[in-house]
Formats: sequence, C-alpha cells, structure tokens
Amino acid sequence: MRNKCWFAFVLMALCALLINTGCAKKTVEPSREITPPQQGATTEQPGSMQMETSKTGEESAAQPQTQGQAQKTTLEKEMASFEENDIYFDFDRFDLTPEARKTLADKARFLNTHPKMKIRIEGYSDERGTQEYNLALGERRAKAALDYLVFLGIGPERIATISYGEENPLDPGHDETAWAKNRRAHFDIL
Amino acid sequence: MQRLFALIWMVVGVFSLTAYAQPVHIDIEASGVRKMKVAMPTYVGPPEMAGSVWAVCEKDLQMSGIFEVISPQSYISPGPLGEVQPGNLKDFALIGADYVITATVGRQGTSGQFKVQVVEISSAQVLMSATYTSRADTMYMAVHTFMDTLLKEKFAIDGIFTSKIVAIMKDKGQKQLYVSWCDGTGGSVIRGGGSLVLNPAWSPDGKKIAFVSYARNNPDCYILDVATGKMKLVSSQRGINITPAFDPSGTRLACTLSVDGNPELYSMDLDGTGRIRLTSSWATDTSPSFSPDGRRMVFCSSRAGNPQIFIMDVATKNAQRISFEGTYNTEPVFSPRGDLVAFCYLVKGEGYHIAVVQPDGSKLRVLPGTGKGDESPAFSPDGRLIAFASSDGNIYVTDLLGTTTVKVTSGGGFTEPAWSRPGM
Repeated sequence: MRNKCWFAFVLMALCALLINTGCAKKTVEPSREITPPQQGATTEQPGSMQMETSKTGEESAAQPQTQGQAQKTTLEKEMASFEENDIYFDFDRFDLTPEARKTLADKARFLNTHPKMKIRIEGYSDERGTQEYNLALGERRAKAALDYLVFLGIGPERIATISYGEENPLDPGHDETAWAKNRRAHFDIL
Repeated sequence: MQRLFALIWMVVGVFSLTAYAQPVHIDIEASGVRKMKVAMPTYVGPPEMAGSVWAVCEKDLQMSGIFEVISPQSYISPGPLGEVQPGNLKDFALIGADYVITATVGRQGTSGQFKVQVVEISSAQVLMSATYTSRADTMYMAVHTFMDTLLKEKFAIDGIFTSKIVAIMKDKGQKQLYVSWCDGTGGSVIRGGGSLVLNPAWSPDGKKIAFVSYARNNPDCYILDVATGKMKLVSSQRGINITPAFDPSGTRLACTLSVDGNPELYSMDLDGTGRIRLTSSWATDTSPSFSPDGRRMVFCSSRAGNPQIFIMDVATKNAQRISFEGTYNTEPVFSPRGDLVAFCYLVKGEGYHIAVVQPDGSKLRVLPGTGKGDESPAFSPDGRLIAFASSDGNIYVTDLLGTTTVKVTSGGGFTEPAWSRPGM
C-alpha cells in the first residue's frame, strides 16, 4: 500500500514535469523509461523512504540518481520475482492447483500494471514417463497457465508458450523432491 | 581355390535345398524356444583388429535374436583359432555348442579381410566359409555382410545389419541426431539446428528423417534428407509440432499439433500442406504410428483419464482402446509385420518396461529389458526385434520374448531410437 502511494506521487510529479516542459509523451506506465525524469521528481519527494535511508551530508548531490536507481530496483525486483515464481503441477496433471491460481493472479496483476510487457510460458514435466507424452503434457501445462491469465484479463497476444517436456529439468535429482520442482510452468518476460 | 568354392557352394546348396523344402521356421514367439548356442574362440589376427571384429560379431550374433554366445570362460580351446579341425570338434560339442564360428582377420594396406568359418557341430560340417573384405578402419562392414549372409542363407531370415538406427544423443548439453548401423557401429552426429532435437522417425525408404527441432525457439517439425543433409521445415504452427511419423507410402506425415487448442493428431503432406485433423478429444492425443498397410494407426491418448494406447481406423477415424492394464501406457509403435504393437508400459512397482500387444488388445506381454526403466520402443525392419532406450542412457535391442537384451550404444546420452529398413 505504501509503495502504491509512493508510485502515485512519483507519477503526479512526473506528469507535472512533463506538462511544464511541454512534452507530449504519453507516460502512464511506470517502467524503466521514466527513470531519467525522476531527477525532477525526487526533489519534490524529500520524505521518501529511500531518501531517508541513503541520506548523508556529502552524498546529497548524488541522491536524485540513487532515487532513480531505487525505483528501477523495485521494478527489477518485481520482474525478477515474476520470473522466479513458477507454478507447480501434480504428476500427469495440468489442472491448476489453488496455489498456482494464486501465483497466476499475482502475475496477472503485474501484467495489468505493465500492459506493454509480453511473456513466454515454458511448460515442463518431471523425468518420469516418456518424452513424447511429456512434451504434450508440458504444452498443456503452459496452455493451462495461459488460459488462466487470459481469463484474468491479459490479452492472449501478449503470451507465448513453449513446451520442453522433460528437457532442461530445474532439479536434476531423481526423487520426488526433484520431480515436484520439475513439474512446472516457468514465466519469462520477453 | 576353385575346388574349395565349389565345395562351399555344394554345402550351401544342399543346405538351402533342405531349408527350402522344409523351411527352418524359427518361431521366436513360441515360449521355451531354445536359442542356438555359438562358440566363438578368439580370432587369429592382429589383436587390436581381431578383438574389435570379434566384439562386433558377438554383439551381432546376440542381437540377431536366434543365437546365444557361449561364455568364453567355458571354452576348452579358447583360441586363437582360424579354422576348426576335426580334432577340435569335441571341445565344442562338450560345452554344448551348436555352431562354432572361427575367423582370421588380416590387413593389407588400407583394406582388411575377415575370413570366417561356421561349423555345425551336429553334422560336423562346414556350414559356411567365406572371406569378406572391407576398409580396415570399418571392418564392422565385413561383419555385417557375413551376418546377413548367414541369416539369409542358413536360417531364411532377412538380414538386418544394413539397417540403421537414428537416436537422439546428448553431448555437451546439446541434443542432436545420431545415426549409426543398427548394432551401434559407424555412428555420427547430424546437427538438426539449434541445441535441442527430439522425436526422430525414418521415412519408409530410409532416405529421410523427420524430427522435432527447437531451432526457431519452438518445437517445430522438420524433414532431413540424409544424403544431402538438407533440412526442410514441415510444420511450425503455434504450440507444439511433435512426434512425426511417416505413413507407409512415405508421402504423408502424421504429427501432434496443438494449433487448435490441445494436442491432437493431424496428417499432412511432407511440405506441411493438405493438413487433415485425425482426432478430436479434450484429451492429449500423441505418438502416432501407422500399420504397414496404412489403414490403421496406433497412438497414445489420455481420453480415458490417463495415457493409454488406442488404435484408429484412418478412413473412419474411429478409435478403440487396446491397452487395459496399468495407468501409464505411451509411445506405441506398429510392427512392420502388422501383428503387434509395442509401447512403453508402466508396471506398478517395477517402473517402465517395453510391452507388446496384438492390435486387438489381446496377449499383452511385458519384456524384461534392462529392468532400469525402458522407453521409446522401435521395431526392427523385419519386426522380430525391438530397440529401446534405457534410463542408463543407452540403446538396447531385445527379441520379442526378451530372452536376450543387447546393449547397442556405449557411453550414454542416448534416447528415442528409430530403426530404418535394411539396405542403407
């Protein structure tokens, strides 16, 4: 919630700045593109958390940049967590578990906030079973994730899928712990 | 020399006559069939050369499915032995041999000779005596010719040793096509583009290999012209384009595509045009394989809740289930004789085995295989043998009773074998 407020402030300041400079660029998306103008924004946001934690006397001149980096870091963190959080499946299944739905809902929220982002979903299986069937199973897992994201309002044209079946397992082990990690759909921001 | 040849031909002729008058029918599917025991004392010749020729010959005899090679430890005359003399016969009779195969391996410049003699113990006769030549560095070619001649002329079995196996080989993190003779000799890598290639399948004439490559960052279907090495994209629809299988005419390719939603089976011309949808179910349909007359097709479908084997009448698209045991039956292949379907069968508590069943679903038989997890069966061109991939990363060949399982590759990293017709 706090983060959101902060974002809103930055945006407002940014809009003001853009209007002042007469720039007609349509910027509603807080993505990396808005990092440079933030130098202006930070001067109007002296109370932000990042400023407080990093503020020391001599470094004040470098602060606007730190602020920009901080926001960039937030987005990068969000993107990293988007890509890090896989969804998992039961053996020979491609239906979404409640947990998978929750993860996908988080991803849908993120994608809604960043409407220009395109993603690719990779479907995987564990090593058990046969390559041919597992390729089809991986496809169904990726497709199940795609369908749910579309159901949550993400345009299907933004989502590509690819199945690797039992290729490229995340965990090369041969036990249930490894298999459970490998029965997954993985998400990449393109 | 002329007289020797005449003698050999007489022997061959007499044997052939009896063979044709009263064919030696080897019903390897009958239970309790006894394989013919062969003794192979060490060959005469330079050790490095004779050793490898001996090893290939032993492997091929075992692979043929009709011979059992007696352990060298039980030989009374371990060799080297270039020829059997009357005095040696009882040494081999005593250890239960039906045949003794001796050979002299020699080299003249770049060419090698494989002079081989087969003696039948019961009749004390020379069944076969011949010299095969080959380039010295590919002496396995001489062994293949010998094996095919022996099988054809003495046991009325069509030779298989001029057929090839294509498999997927993982090397340095990349998966590529690997083509070798069916006994694993003379192998080489064929790059299929990108770093991941899967699902190889031979055309009926053995001139093309259909396969899946991720070269364009999607599992797409390609056809490779083996002679020219040229690759042609066949199907690159959105989603998967996997498990290609030629029909017996070699003019159509069946594939699994997910372009219409979930994985379904389609057939198409070799350029990807003329696509016909063969299945329509909510489930996963994959792994097609045609009967030799092209009228039926086996495939794997999860429409019953878990993967099972189905057979389809291609004209009507009506499909019937033919596997009823177990909860995970995949990768079916039709025998080139049309009498059997082999598939990968998950035996509860025992892991994956190759199983064979009749096309009507009767007489399921599980092959012991390696016992380590066997997948991806592929019939030999004559339908007598099955190659498969084991979880140890090697390709094995077994007969239909599973009495002999021969390791074909070495080193590991191999999956998904497919077996070409002979005469390549």
